[in-house]
Amino acid sequence: MIRAVVVDDEALAREELVALLHEAGGVEVVASCANAVEALPAVRRERPDVLFLDVQMPAVSGFELLAMLDPDDLPRVVFVTAHDEFAVRAFEQNAADYLLKPVERTRLARTLERLGRAVGGPPAGVGTAVAAGAPGAAGLAAKVIARIPCQGTRSIRLVDLAEVEAVRSSEAGVYVMTAGGEHFTELTLRVLEERTGLFRCHKQHLVNVDRVEEILLGDDEGASVRTRSGRTVPVSRRFLAALKERLGL
Amino acid sequence: MPLFLTLLTSLVGAMSFFMALFYVLSRARVFETGPDGPHGRTLVFHWLFFTGITITGSYLGIQLPDGVIANTRAVGAMVAGFMGGPLLGGAVGATAGVHRIWLGGTTAVAGAAATTMEGLVGGLVRLWLARTEGVGRLPGWRLAAGVTVVTEIVHMGLVIILSPHNPDPLGVAETIGPPMITANAIGVALFALVMRDRQRDREQVQADSSARALRAARRTLGLLARGYDAARLPEVARILKEETGAGAVCLTDADQVLAFEGLGADHHRAPGPIVSHHTRRAIETGEVVFADGQTEHYDCPISKDCPLDSVLIAPLSLDGVVVGTVQVFEPRHRRFSSVNRSLGEGLASLLSAQLLAARYQETKGLLTEQELKLVQAQVNPHFLFNALNTVAAVLRIDPERARGLLLHLAAFFRKNLKRPSALATLREELEHVGAYLEIEKARFADRLTVVTEVDPSLLDLKLPAFTLQPLVENAFKHGLAHTLGPGTARIRARREEAAALIEIEDDAGAYREASGGDGLGMRLVDKRIKNLIGPTWGLAVACVPGELTRVTVRVPLPEGTA
Repeated sequence: MIRAVVVDDEALAREELVALLHEAGGVEVVASCANAVEALPAVRRERPDVLFLDVQMPAVSGFELLAMLDPDDLPRVVFVTAHDEFAVRAFEQNAADYLLKPVERTRLARTLERLGRAVGGPPAGVGTAVAAGAPGAAGLAAKVIARIPCQGTRSIRLVDLAEVEAVRSSEAGVYVMTAGGEHFTELTLRVLEERTGLFRCHKQHLVNVDRVEEILLGDDEGASVRTRSGRTVPVSRRFLAALKERLGL
Repeated sequence: MPLFLTLLTSLVGAMSFFMALFYVLSRARVFETGPDGPHGRTLVFHWLFFTGITITGSYLGIQLPDGVIANTRAVGAMVAGFMGGPLLGGAVGATAGVHRIWLGGTTAVAGAAATTMEGLVGGLVRLWLARTEGVGRLPGWRLAAGVTVVTEIVHMGLVIILSPHNPDPLGVAETIGPPMITANAIGVALFALVMRDRQRDREQVQADSSARALRAARRTLGLLARGYDAARLPEVARILKEETGAGAVCLTDADQVLAFEGLGADHHRAPGPIVSHHTRRAIETGEVVFADGQTEHYDCPISKDCPLDSVLIAPLSLDGVVVGTVQVFEPRHRRFSSVNRSLGEGLASLLSAQLLAARYQETKGLLTEQELKLVQAQVNPHFLFNALNTVAAVLRIDPERARGLLLHLAAFFRKNLKRPSALATLREELEHVGAYLEIEKARFADRLTVVTEVDPSLLDLKLPAFTLQPLVENAFKHGLAHTLGPGTARIRARREEAAALIEIEDDAGAYREASGGDGLGMRLVDKRIKNLIGPTWGLAVACVPGELTRVTVRVPLPEGTA
């Protein structure tokens, strides 16, 4: 069984694809999401083999969603879109395949056959030739995240990178800290470090260098920085020199 | 009577002859030279004319012993210089000088040299004025007299130096000097006065006709903005008649008379066929035809009792093709003024320019249509395939509803394929948008709400076809495309004073100026409203980030409903 997650902002399009996958057989749709922000936790939770991904979606596009997924979590990706203007880009993104809406049964069968061969082959990752996390996945790694989707209790917020002061990771998850408060995000510390330009200053912390007000040099425990809104973020000894250099000290 | 006064009165008397001659001739067209002075044949004429005056100055002079002549040669040479520069002045002076030597006498050489010098000095005055006051300016009488006084004093000096055979050159200079200096200065000053007067008259006439041409241009500009529109031409003819004050004004296209205003309107009917051979000649040759009423008469082909006798017919051309004529008539016994002649020709070229401008506007409008088509073509594939995908999905669940969606889709595309040139009613526009909305509501059923509030009295409002649909589509792109949750789009039509406002609003507030294709679409819609309705109408966008984006279409209320 291929485990799949379907992401599309149109309910009918989603249902249609789920129905087609069901008919084709051999696929278990483990989650069906209405947008990229819903898809983030679903992919982390379910670790599917395949992600059927619409390109044009509100707030966070299919391409942006890929940039937000941790390379370790990254399933194979099949883009599903109405118009082929994105085809070239989809393949630059190392998509496993590319389907046009309305989806043809025979075309879908071919995609599934290809996927079936690959599943159980090399470990899950994007594309056919490129292993996840390898430099060849530059199409993804180079992609810069401009806004970080954060989950509130009843809302989703897209936090602009410029607003972020620091990011902290704990047992409970990853939290984006702004002047206004802390926001839970599904993005991992690693993805944020690699794709946002936030600076790794501690095993469990990233800091936005542009928002640093001063460095407080402590005892041998290392140092800490104070951000503009007065937050204190710890700095490990091993990152201190690099941070000073980055700040031009 | 002392000798001085005798000589002076004789000289002035002699000079009055060609003074009177020049006063009469100065009205002749040949003296109407432009700022660059006479050229070609005119230049030759000037040379002959002024040489004649200068030589006459020798003959009408007063014979004194030893072949001495008290004369007024300086006048012709100096004035020639004023009018044509050093070359003409020098040539006139030299020619008359050679003639003076031929006459003989002890002071002949001195006189010849002086006259040549005076012609050159007159020319230098012209050059100096060109630099200080403007090209083509003539000296005032004071300057003219002053320069003559100086050159005549030099003339006397030359008599003293260059007359070795005269027994008493000093005595000669003493005798003829004062009267010649005075008489020549008076003569040149009078010439200068007459010339300046003529120049001022001509400028006044030119200023008058320019002002009238400009006024006519301004008044007809709006009327011809849409091209050579037969419905507007009677008004144009009326304005032209008013501004020229002519007996009648007529406008034709290449085939028929389109407007006639003034004398003879009883039998010169518009619209009517072109019957005058003058008009046909102007249309065929593309050149101005002028029947002055003296050597050539208008000869009305319609009525023997027609009061019109002279006519100027100026062709209107557009890209080298004659598209019509402007005709200015004067009745019998009224001179066709040269002002009206040049005014008529000027107006024709002005109207041609306006027609060209109108043509340009029209092409620009067509370009907008083409651009709009292009944008529609660009927008559609995405919508089409998503719509088809939706229909495929609905077919599985509810075939009857899928059938309905397909019909909406068909209606939408049918309206889209219509040529987007004309005006449509708000009702038609809402139908177009309605078909589009049915598909979008099916696609985004769970999160799209559309609220339509239209003042039913506005349903017959006219606006350019394809105004609303692109705006509603944009509202979805700006709105739904940016909200994860549900979104609402509102379409409102209401009155505000003399205007009708149609508002398209989304609750995302994510509008950003000129974002790629959307910006282009909006600009085109705005441009079309301005082209088809007027430059003061069009689109306005208001955006409260995170709350709403509102695009407002402002168009005039239909007449009588405001």
